[in-house]
Amino acid sequence: MDTSSHLARAQWMSLLAQAEPAELAQAMAPYAAPPDAIWLRPAQTGLYMLRGRIGGTGARFNLGEASVTRCSVQIGAHVGHAWVRGSDVRHAELAACADAWLQDHARHARLEAQVLAPLRASRHARRDAASRKAAASKVEFFTVVRGE
Amino acid sequence: MMLAAFADPVFDSQRNFRELLQAMARPGTPRALPSLPPSPAPATPEAMAVLLTLCDQATPVWLQASHPGLAQHLRFHAGTPLVDAAVAADFALITDAAAMPSLDAFALGDPRYPDRSTTLIVQVGALRPGTGARFAGPGIRDTARCAIDGLPERFWRERAALAARLPLGVDCFFVAARQVLALPRTTRLLED
Repeated sequence: MDTSSHLARAQWMSLLAQAEPAELAQAMAPYAAPPDAIWLRPAQTGLYMLRGRIGGTGARFNLGEASVTRCSVQIGAHVGHAWVRGSDVRHAELAACADAWLQDHARHARLEAQVLAPLRASRHARRDAASRKAAASKVEFFTVVRGE
Repeated sequence: MMLAAFADPVFDSQRNFRELLQAMARPGTPRALPSLPPSPAPATPEAMAVLLTLCDQATPVWLQASHPGLAQHLRFHAGTPLVDAAVAADFALITDAAAMPSLDAFALGDPRYPDRSTTLIVQVGALRPGTGARFAGPGIRDTARCAIDGLPERFWRERAALAARLPLGVDCFFVAARQVLALPRTTRLLED
């Protein structure tokens, strides 16, 4: 696997993990796991310790724990993995299936158009709405120079 | 092509752990392993059941035959580091007992920490209780008899030589046909 496809995979895994579960379920409806899929790691929820650095460069500290659901599935010759924040088992399963299908060159373009494109548009819309909401509450501070 | 592990990772490994504990407490008596996971060759499902029950990212494992599929399986499901030197391993998987290395090739522990030794998981042909070798030692009332098929003759000589170095030594699990038998370092083989 060359670096560019590695990067592409990281991007679609991120997109799938951050998707709205209902939208992902709708987009993935025609791509359910086939009966011969092997659930290498059935979806399981656990805790991940989030760590940060003070100011981005300082000493590491434990920020807190986040629940994460992970899942791995083998479909044909491809193994799909997913790590999803929260405890939505179905979300992790669908994301793992999508990851496995997307590695299949024969199906990649179809999934890209039918699954990734709508999710990307939806993520963009969510971000746009959030930044608009934030921009609407922007306050301009100014000081009046006190005259003597 | 990868394989799955235990269907229910938590409860299956706990059920197996109970039996492994019981096997160590009663050496020389085979116990049935309650759940066997799928396993890539050359490891048998019985050996994989023991490995997946006992190993995690803190226990280096040594494989007698390095096999990419088996190594990948263990790394994925148990997260174990695989080591090249038998002496550095906490657990060793012996898939071909006839060709196994000499017992002093494994970690025997430190006089202050005799628990830092290698535990051997040996795939054997069959375990036949009531016949064959007679054992005595802690955990055995009088004697226990069980034939372990497929072990080379030198294994018993090497094991007898290690007995003089107690508390140093190696503990063994023998697996065959859904069963596990433990021989900790304190169990003696009796001459008939």
